[in-house]
Amino acid sequence: MSEEKNKEYFKRLANQLMFDLNDEEAEDIVKEFETLEKQLKLLDEVNTEGVEPMVYPFEDETTFLRKDEVNHVISQEDALANVKDKIEGHFILPKVVK
Amino acid sequence: MIQEMAKDVVNAKERCMDAYEKAVTLQEKLNDAITLIDPSEQLETLPEGGLFHGVPIALKDNVNTKGILTTAGSRILSNYVPVYDAEIVTKLKKEGAVIIAKASMDELAMGGTNLTCFTGPSLNPWDTNRMTGGSSGGSAAMVASGVVPMAIGSDTGDSIRKPASFCGIVGVKPTYGRISRYGIIPYASSLDHVGYFTRSIEDACISLQALAGRDDRDMTSSFKEVPDYLGLLNSDMNGKKIAIFGNVQDALTNPETKEMFAKLMHALEERGAKVDVFYFSEELMKAMLPTYYLIANCEATSNHSNLDGIRFGVREKGDSMEEIMINSRTKGFGPLIRKRFVIGSYGLFEENQDKLFRKAQKVRRLIVNELNKCLGEYDCLIAPASNDIAPLLNDTSRDQLSDGYLIVENHMVIGNFSGYPSMTVPMGFEEGCPIGVNLTCKAFDEVTMFNIGKAIEEITGYKDLTAEVK
Repeated sequence: MSEEKNKEYFKRLANQLMFDLNDEEAEDIVKEFETLEKQLKLLDEVNTEGVEPMVYPFEDETTFLRKDEVNHVISQEDALANVKDKIEGHFILPKVVK
Repeated sequence: MIQEMAKDVVNAKERCMDAYEKAVTLQEKLNDAITLIDPSEQLETLPEGGLFHGVPIALKDNVNTKGILTTAGSRILSNYVPVYDAEIVTKLKKEGAVIIAKASMDELAMGGTNLTCFTGPSLNPWDTNRMTGGSSGGSAAMVASGVVPMAIGSDTGDSIRKPASFCGIVGVKPTYGRISRYGIIPYASSLDHVGYFTRSIEDACISLQALAGRDDRDMTSSFKEVPDYLGLLNSDMNGKKIAIFGNVQDALTNPETKEMFAKLMHALEERGAKVDVFYFSEELMKAMLPTYYLIANCEATSNHSNLDGIRFGVREKGDSMEEIMINSRTKGFGPLIRKRFVIGSYGLFEENQDKLFRKAQKVRRLIVNELNKCLGEYDCLIAPASNDIAPLLNDTSRDQLSDGYLIVENHMVIGNFSGYPSMTVPMGFEEGCPIGVNLTCKAFDEVTMFNIGKAIEEITGYKDLTAEVK
């Protein structure tokens, strides 16, 4: 948390998310982060002691274990329909071990 | 309008072809569709009868449609053709609906302007120099311009209700769990709702009748019975208790909007409603936007980690799997999306989770507790949907720490935090452009929401409003 929130910091963070930011984009985030930190202070001011996090709007059970029966099956052809490079039911990627 | 169309079986084909042709013509002026669909094939296989028999409709482009391009407004999905239909598509087809367009939207539904779609902004039918609002802007524009009487949208913050205000139509976000989300490309799972736009309250009732109901494939889908919304429609306001959202009313700076809203409240009182002002804790009101921002971005970062160009979507070149992913995600997402993912990821860091993400979830509960207090006493919470009409396309003037922004422009997220039904209906016009009023009711009480909406429609006379696109 104490690390300086500069362009390099956000570029590194973006890389952990598997994308790049250019200089201008990283600079934008630095500026926006200043506003965000001020907004987050508004959150800090709220006393939440003893309050449970609200994860979903309703806490009634709407999902149950279903019977272990196969349904809604798609074919291998459909499963790979949107893959650009494929061969014999596999998608092709560069070699991992070279 | 939908009911009359569905009864007019003889003209179904002509009606749908006309709608398609109008959509093609208006596309040049409004850029409100990503894919236009010639309905000829669907017209050959229309089922008999149905609430939407031969009614042309549009779907937001985050609704999966088997065999039809579904991009969610993002370049990374610009080649994605689903192999299955979303549950709502199956339901609408069974009711005889004819899909003529996949509508423009903010990229991955993350935005309130509709400026971030990879095919460019959609334009407001009332004034093409103005935004439609987003993220369901294309759907709103197609309804407002009279192309279709109903279009599907999705709403995570106010993505149906804000464009409805800017486009002068009805925008409905029903209760969380009322409409199945199976097959909808997600944004933030605890806040995402499927909803729709119409030009009248009657059409809003029929649409929910067709769309609502339990779906085992959506783990949040409700088991509650679906009422006969149209049969129960009744605009009698005697005995109705309406709470004006005091914090929003006080933060309004536009005198025209204030006056318009005050007149409407007076008219509801004259019809027998009891109208009071209800204030939420100011501290919670100001925390509403950061709470939303954190929850939405944290959930989105996680949801969209599957968009990597490997299994589906646009794949860029690279010498390793990592390089392919990085190149695909860098080119595939616009700058706004990447920024939001960075913020979301920051909120999910182990050292930040309690301080930021969990904190936001706790504040969410406190905000909903306040809403429960309000709706424990009143049938409905009401406020203008915005301070002003739709912003101009190049407007970037908002101060993101002002009350105007933190409260007036973002109060509708309360409907997403709570999951309660919330709807925008037209309230009036300023500079020739519409502005709406928003109402939020108790969970699964869409009947009351439609009834109050109907009374407002009768007061304003704004039913079946259609923009003449210049």
